[in-house]
Amino acid sequence: MIGVRGAARRTELGLVVLAIIITASAYILASLGRTASLPANLVPFLLVIIGLIALAHIAVRRLAPGADSVLLPIAGLLNGVGYVFIARLDRDLAGLQAVWTAVGVAAFLATLAVVRRPRDLERYRYTFALVGVGLLLVPLLPGIGRTVNGARLWIRLGPLTFQPGEIAKIILAIFFASYLVEKRALLSRRSLPEGARSFLARLRYFGPILLAWGASLVVLVAERDLGSSLLFFGLFVTMLWVATGWAVYVALGAGMFTLGAAMSWSAFSHVKQRIDVWIDPWSRASTQGFQVLQAIFGMGTGGMAGTGLGLGDPTRIPAAATDLIFAAIGEELGLLGTTAIVAAFVTTVAVGLRIAMRARNDFEKLLAVGLTTILGLQAFIIIGGVTRLLPLTGITLPFVSYGGSSLVANYILLALLLRISDSSTRAAA
Amino acid sequence: MDRQIKTLAVGMMVLFTSVFLKLNQVQVVQANDLANDPRNSRVATRDFARPRGAIQTADGLVLAQSTPTDDQLKRLRQYPGGQLYAGITGYFSFTYGASGVERAYTDFLSGRKASTSLKGLGDVFNDKEQTGNVTLTIKNAVQQVAAQQLGNRRGAVVALDPTTGGILAMVNFPSFDPNPLAAHDQKAVQAAYKQLAADPAKPLLARAYGEIYAPGSTFKVVTTSAALERKPELATKTYPVLKQLDLPHTTSDLPNFGGSSCGGQLPQLLKVSCNTGFAQIGLDLGIDALKSEAQDFGFASAPPLDIPGAARSRFPDTTDWLRDDPRLAQSAIGQNDVVASPLQMALIASAIANKGVAMKPHVMGEIRDNEGDVVRRYLPSSWRKPVTPEVAAAVTQMMIGVVNGGTATGIAVPGVQVAAKTGTAQTTGKNAHAWIIGFAPADAPKIAVAVIVESQPGVSEATGGRVAAPIARAVIQAALGAP
Repeated sequence: MIGVRGAARRTELGLVVLAIIITASAYILASLGRTASLPANLVPFLLVIIGLIALAHIAVRRLAPGADSVLLPIAGLLNGVGYVFIARLDRDLAGLQAVWTAVGVAAFLATLAVVRRPRDLERYRYTFALVGVGLLLVPLLPGIGRTVNGARLWIRLGPLTFQPGEIAKIILAIFFASYLVEKRALLSRRSLPEGARSFLARLRYFGPILLAWGASLVVLVAERDLGSSLLFFGLFVTMLWVATGWAVYVALGAGMFTLGAAMSWSAFSHVKQRIDVWIDPWSRASTQGFQVLQAIFGMGTGGMAGTGLGLGDPTRIPAAATDLIFAAIGEELGLLGTTAIVAAFVTTVAVGLRIAMRARNDFEKLLAVGLTTILGLQAFIIIGGVTRLLPLTGITLPFVSYGGSSLVANYILLALLLRISDSSTRAAA
Repeated sequence: MDRQIKTLAVGMMVLFTSVFLKLNQVQVVQANDLANDPRNSRVATRDFARPRGAIQTADGLVLAQSTPTDDQLKRLRQYPGGQLYAGITGYFSFTYGASGVERAYTDFLSGRKASTSLKGLGDVFNDKEQTGNVTLTIKNAVQQVAAQQLGNRRGAVVALDPTTGGILAMVNFPSFDPNPLAAHDQKAVQAAYKQLAADPAKPLLARAYGEIYAPGSTFKVVTTSAALERKPELATKTYPVLKQLDLPHTTSDLPNFGGSSCGGQLPQLLKVSCNTGFAQIGLDLGIDALKSEAQDFGFASAPPLDIPGAARSRFPDTTDWLRDDPRLAQSAIGQNDVVASPLQMALIASAIANKGVAMKPHVMGEIRDNEGDVVRRYLPSSWRKPVTPEVAAAVTQMMIGVVNGGTATGIAVPGVQVAAKTGTAQTTGKNAHAWIIGFAPADAPKIAVAVIVESQPGVSEATGGRVAAPIARAVIQAALGAP
């Protein structure tokens, strides 16, 4: 087995080197395209990215030698490409993003070091539940809660702002996994009583989904964030269905979310505005529709091959470095670039679900499903929003967008997935 | 659970496949439309960064040119012609897009279409930028005179060659300087634009083709043509000498200006611009005849000027009119709700001048590439044929009569026979728009002209002749004297 592990780590090293080469080339090209000169800080930049990703790679070698070999290089590549675009769009943010990347890698290391066995997490189930819900709702507290771009998702502690929802999504995935593993027999159709015994007896089956729905509505209404709301609810319904195998939950969840969104559409102007802009941004081209149209214009201008790194005009897209970074990539790297990003997420999802399939116990299986669903669903929601497949909502593109909380959370998520992967390899050995 | 995980994988694939399809729609199928959408300001940036050809008058005065700069936009668009030519060149603004010739011929100016002049395979590999230079039909000599004559009075002058439709002069007052709008400091640009947009005198509006006014008695040329075309017996009918016409279905009367009396046959009526006579002709013609004639002359459709923004002139909506409605009598003398742009009135004069054919009005003469080879030349074509050559000749004779001893004596040019018609469109109690339309020489016209001076004191038929005629006369002299 040692041989196989060694091979996996060698593959990972090769892919990591490839990711570094791509990132460094992109960084140089972006600078050449923009100012026709080499980036001034090229050597420190190279040292930092090589150092950080090498550190992560060594950590995996030491702490999770049997883990999958593809996820870390992909995350590094997405992080690197994202950084290139952030640096190209906004120098100040780039410096912060570099710091956050370092913090993210540190969190990655810490997670691998602290969580030696995934089932350790199962023990603190209700603590996680409490912390998760708490984190989700803490931006609503007066004093520390902050509203940015209409969404109340941030907290401010001293000089630091943080989006606790990013961490909450992982903690809740852990809680859902442990809760559902325990209750899955109770919640599946096989245990549904014959005939309609009583409404209350039935309610037991639908209580959890109703509760999750209620929580997602709170996020939607109080924190004004359609994207996070969809992400949390989608995560729960997916995990509920995977745990119980009862497809009714999926249909019910879809229906409930549609109902909730429809109710909010008629009751809350910020939801209505999002939907209206999604359906017809053209008649609001210079007001609410401006953002999504600039994104669409950018991607259309990019076309098949893009304008070339540093040669486009993505600074016209509002929030290009954060939520709409995908549109900036589409403008300068074209369909080829956006397809590569989508392919990276598809690969991540495929690998994540493969880890779930190979996992040795139900908790690890379900947790891997949850963590993978978070990545896949979040990427889908924001890419769909930027391309007008869905209403545009303010969530980050994992690993790519600027955003400290998001980056740190996603590195923790990655570490957990690798931990599960390593754990099943060990169990097989 | 493994079964669900496999299904989940399929579901995720479906989601990402739909994203991929949508990406293809945005970045391949619609890419071209999105890239060139006018609301996509990248287009303006791209055009700004490119070299851009010059715009010049037919007699060689440069009106717009680009000079290299050191900043991000790379080139500064300058308008040496300033506000005299703003209504024609328009502006090329990073924030506000383009207008006028800058907009209509932007693809040629920026070289996106001039490259059709590739002469051989070698040019494909030649990275020299090809831009087009637009030469207008406008003659600076005529334009200058028109502007000097109009002076600081609100109004417009349009002069064109009736045989080609090429505009010789097109002056608006007030106007604006396009230079501040093409500047690079976008805050200053926005401040300048907002100030212009808020100005109650509407300097951004090209009055010559973008504004509509009551044409007053200049419209009698249309009424006269309608009579000759559609009811020739009216041409020999003698109308009674009246001070005022008793309008049907109303207690009010339609008076002549200043309480004068007039009457007689059509040439005499036109000569003195007899309101009572023409009002009766209108009633004799009927709604359909007068309205159809106006539409034949171009009312109800905007003239196909080659720069954007030409206004549609209007004959009133007649759906609720009685057969001999008093509004018909008023419309026949260019009042009621008849409204026309100065360009439209110049085209009416040009149709009479050009044997009954109005040519398509245009300001572009030709476009040449950097080597001086012609990329495109404007080929004159007819727009409307409102009257037969015979009717045009008859109306010309009557309009000569207006100049020789009628209301338009002020337009007479020594040695050249001018044909014209004045107009006075009352706006407020004591003010009126002073109009004149005309052409010269009457036997072989080289210029047709329309002049409006807004809100001039004095409400009499003489107002148009007194105020507008001298401007038109100077413009005609300049055009006929210019090389």
